Amino acid sequence: MDKIFRTDIIHKSQLLIVVALIFAILVFATLLFFIIGKINPNAKLNEVKARTKSWWVMATVFIGATLVNTNISYVAIAFLSFAAFRELYSILGFRESDRRAIFWAFVSIPVQYYLAFIGWYGAFIIFIPVVMFLLLPLRLVLKGDTQGIIKSMSMLQWTLMLTVFGISHMAYLLSLPKLNGFENGGRGLLLFLVFITEINDVMQFTWGKLLGRHKIIPKISPNKTWEGFIGGIICTTIIGYFLRFLTPLNNYQALLVSFIVAIAGFVGDVVMSSIKRDIGLKDTGSIIPGHGGILDRIDSLAYAAPAFFHLVYYIAY
Amino acid sequence: MKKLLLQFTFSFLLRNILKIFVGVQFHKAKFLVDEKQFIIVANHNSHLDTMALMASIPSKIIDRVRPVAAADHFGKTSRQARMSNYFINTLLIPRKRDKDHPAEDPINKMIAALDEGYSLIIFPEGTRGEPEKLQPLKPGVGIVLSKRPLIKYVPVFMSGMGKAMPKGDSLIVPHTARLFYGSPASVKSTDVHEIISQIEADIMELKAKVTAPATNNA
Repeated sequence: MDKIFRTDIIHKSQLLIVVALIFAILVFATLLFFIIGKINPNAKLNEVKARTKSWWVMATVFIGATLVNTNISYVAIAFLSFAAFRELYSILGFRESDRRAIFWAFVSIPVQYYLAFIGWYGAFIIFIPVVMFLLLPLRLVLKGDTQGIIKSMSMLQWTLMLTVFGISHMAYLLSLPKLNGFENGGRGLLLFLVFITEINDVMQFTWGKLLGRHKIIPKISPNKTWEGFIGGIICTTIIGYFLRFLTPLNNYQALLVSFIVAIAGFVGDVVMSSIKRDIGLKDTGSIIPGHGGILDRIDSLAYAAPAFFHLVYYIAY
Repeated sequence: MKKLLLQFTFSFLLRNILKIFVGVQFHKAKFLVDEKQFIIVANHNSHLDTMALMASIPSKIIDRVRPVAAADHFGKTSRQARMSNYFINTLLIPRKRDKDHPAEDPINKMIAALDEGYSLIIFPEGTRGEPEKLQPLKPGVGIVLSKRPLIKYVPVFMSGMGKAMPKGDSLIVPHTARLFYGSPASVKSTDVHEIISQIEADIMELKAKVTAPATNNA
């Protein structure tokens, strides 16, 4: 019982500093938009206000679910994967004969997170890219509907890779072995990753709104500009440098890792945009006001998490 | 006791299971509390439809609402009929009209329930069809409304339910689904055909609203 309800975050002052920082940013943003709204009532602030409100909820849920207790974190991240997988496959338009294979893809989610939980790295890293990759087509073949089967196989595997395999790296951070002289452990790494990725999204959005002129890929996302991209990456790298105390990385490594996470986050974002373009949707859902669906929020994490994990795993472990 | 049981199973248990596990997004239905009596007309693709509709109804009035179901399917034995009457609050009716026994006639049964003050849930398509396709509506609900024209009907459109649990398959695979309420409306005439086409137009309008893809950029 004591193990399940352990709340030792109170003793980790470095984690608490970052938690305080997150809420300070939120308070600042809320006040800022409130004041701008008072000074200039014509400013179009509905979207950013809705976004900020949703950030409050998401930050609180994230901190509650991942920092208070490590065991709950696995379940919470698994549920995030589940909801994201459901959201993405629902809009992709699978055939009715794919339902059995999709069911097994759903079953693979708890298995993947259990492997992360017990820290069996070898199985964790091959389960979806190898085991599910080989098994899911079998289930589709057994059903015998060959019209469009390659499309179903690819879409299903791709959805699993993005929403389950990618995101589950966040959970595996918590199962990494203890390092000497590195107190914060997996929770420090997880907090670092999520904070860096999300602040990167926010920074790219902000710089794009403030200075954005030159579009990067107008065919996919008209809101993505070079100014936003570069401004976002620079800010993220600097912030990552100052938060390196959450990780076992040294100065240069922290700069490099933050830089790559920023780029990976951007790539995840535009990849998801291109898919939405293909289907003809603006957002993948409407669960999070101002942001869209769950995927609209975690698309960059799906790319940033594996990149971050393997970099840190290579450098520090 | 029965009301508490219905509130627990639908408003609490099933509502949360459908929301969290299946991925149903419920539309606010608080306005139903202010309506004295109504007939919910919805499209029908899945066994989840009735569950989702019952779960969407405000818990305050849940015991006043009865889903209409086919007696030959849900009441094969008298025990099964009693079970579904108790746990889902169903109103079981035969599929065919019965001129010889007025008390057993499906239309008379629905009207009798309305006269007792119950609200009804009717799937005018008659049976579950292919996901996301509306079949032609059966005239039953039109006949009922032409005989009780003061009662309002509430159109509902559900999407995705037939993907989560289609006809002929008992395995539920989570799939994003939506339940969308239209506003209560009165019938414009007492002609059965006109009522039916009015309802059909309302449901199609809701469908267009639910499935319209946003053309904006991302």
